[in-house]
Amino acid sequence: MDDSMGEQFDDSDLNITEEVAAPTTQDFGLDDINTSDTEALTASQVIELMESAWLNEKFSPEILPHKTEIVDCLLGQISYMEENLENLESNDFQKSLHQMETYRLRYLVTSYLRIRLEKIEMFNYEILKQEEVREEKNEESYLSAGELQFAKEYKENLEQHFDNVLSFWPGLPPDDWKKEYIKPNLHSFVFLKSKTEIEGVIIDDGNEEDGDLVDFKNGSQMIISYNSVSNLVKKGDVQLI
Amino acid sequence: MSLVLSYSPNYFSIDDILASQERTPCKFLTNVPKLGKLNPASEDDDLAAGTSLELPIWLVQPLSSGRHAIIAADLPRIYTEPYREILKADPVAVDLHKFNLYFYEFGLYAKSFDIRGDVATTLIYTFITRFRKIMDLADNMGLDPLINDGLDMLERGLFFEGHKARTKLNNWLIQTGMQLEAANMVTNHKKRKRVNLEDII
Amino acid sequence: MFGEKAVELVKEVNRNKDSLSPYNTDLIEQVNKEICGLIEQNMEDANASIAGSSNTAAYIPTVNVRHLSVQRNLRCLLSYHHNRVRCLRNMRWEFGSLLPPEIKSNLSSSEAAWFSSYSTSLAKYMRSIGDDGGVNLGADMKPPKSLYIEVRCLLDYGKHQLGDGTVILLKKNTRYYLPRTDCEELIRLEIFEHLIN
Repeated sequence: MDDSMGEQFDDSDLNITEEVAAPTTQDFGLDDINTSDTEALTASQVIELMESAWLNEKFSPEILPHKTEIVDCLLGQISYMEENLENLESNDFQKSLHQMETYRLRYLVTSYLRIRLEKIEMFNYEILKQEEVREEKNEESYLSAGELQFAKEYKENLEQHFDNVLSFWPGLPPDDWKKEYIKPNLHSFVFLKSKTEIEGVIIDDGNEEDGDLVDFKNGSQMIISYNSVSNLVKKGDVQLI
Repeated sequence: MSLVLSYSPNYFSIDDILASQERTPCKFLTNVPKLGKLNPASEDDDLAAGTSLELPIWLVQPLSSGRHAIIAADLPRIYTEPYREILKADPVAVDLHKFNLYFYEFGLYAKSFDIRGDVATTLIYTFITRFRKIMDLADNMGLDPLINDGLDMLERGLFFEGHKARTKLNNWLIQTGMQLEAANMVTNHKKRKRVNLEDII
Repeated sequence: MFGEKAVELVKEVNRNKDSLSPYNTDLIEQVNKEICGLIEQNMEDANASIAGSSNTAAYIPTVNVRHLSVQRNLRCLLSYHHNRVRCLRNMRWEFGSLLPPEIKSNLSSSEAAWFSSYSTSLAKYMRSIGDDGGVNLGADMKPPKSLYIEVRCLLDYGKHQLGDGTVILLKKNTRYYLPRTDCEELIRLEIFEHLIN
């Protein structure tokens, strides 16, 4: 295992201008990945997937299905790079480049996870309710096990606090507020880039009657309301930018 | 924090609560026993049918709708025809802040008292016409505190967001790298502490 | 008018968006009293209606107005507390799990309990990430641009251990050229100032 930590990192999204040498040939097996294709991904493919997930999560108003496999895989990759770094002399120029690289990757992962946490807190009730519905229908959960646990604790914690606040109430304290979820605004507009040819996307303009149709050319960019394309985002056919 | 949230009022929303605190004229259709004190001009125990008052719209809206409406709501003054005419003539010239701090949000409540839909049209027309000016300001101005003067709260929010984005872009274009900063709250906290110390000394 | 005091609470949070003002126990108690009073009066009038001692329908508008006022008071009260919780949450991310004592004294006991539970949940979640003992989400908050940065120390901080184990003495107004990761937290806490150019 020698020089596998140098990654070609598409930095346009992070405003980073330096380049790190040596694209890797090291393969990372994603045995536990939950998709039909179990082929191994290269390290740079993992990063690409992480970047894509990060941007989608950053720009989508609602929480998206979790990407724990990719996160775990990239974290493994980072630890591996960091281990190798410790073996290098500290005055080695390569070392600082590789170190920079690990910091960038760490930012990518932690930023992604932070954005998800913020949504989990902000839309706590809404997200937990939808998770329940998904569980009943035997659908894949959007939250990772750790996130779900956190979400539940957040809810309990807030309810406990509000119960304390309302302890003065004569009789049973009201729970109206529990029905007043904070919901993401799915009508928000997003910028996207299509990754493939898509025909007949219905533009949901919030009116009752059917919206107009629009076709996406591969690589085309547009601005559109999120709820018109939420399925495409989740399927990975379009990339939010 | 970095979460991108587009506007969407919710139960806990401060702006929505403050906007619904604004008052609107209305007239009671029935007697309301024991609540005479709602009318500061009278000392009667009961509130008599026919009394005209200005009440917060959070109360007026539910009481004036449905089959058991007990009051008839009027449009707040700033959404009545003469004011709509002023806005129609030149929305950009109007000091919206003077109209109402929450011109649009209050308008969203008020429009339910106007069956003809003129208020809704005015709100949209005003917003669209003024939006260009706000974009312009955000793009081209420094943070002049006077700019804010004629804007309502929603517009101010847009202006600050726009201004922030423009500053970020400018910084990125001259590319000096991102300065790491003390956390906002830490700075505020220390400032306040300093002020308190000065008070003591 | 009903709900006037409650809306004062909301205005108070609105004025202090980036900081936590002292928990306004007095005003909250007044709001609680107004709510209790309204509920009590409504009970009386409802009971009177049932007992048939008065014109049943006549009190409906009264009860309705009071009920709406209770709802309004409740909304303002919860908004006050909810927005404070959001502020505390941000403080957890900016100050870390230990709040400065001046801020701590502005919390109600229930808020302090909320804060410590939140910190615990967060720590637990961070430990659960990955297969390798967890990830600290409180670090790497800004995209990195360079490995080393120049900083100025703003106070006589004393000894400080760097990530690689070396210990340096931090003096006021001295400049240092240090790894970015070592500086991030100290900058956030206004011990260092990041110098560019």
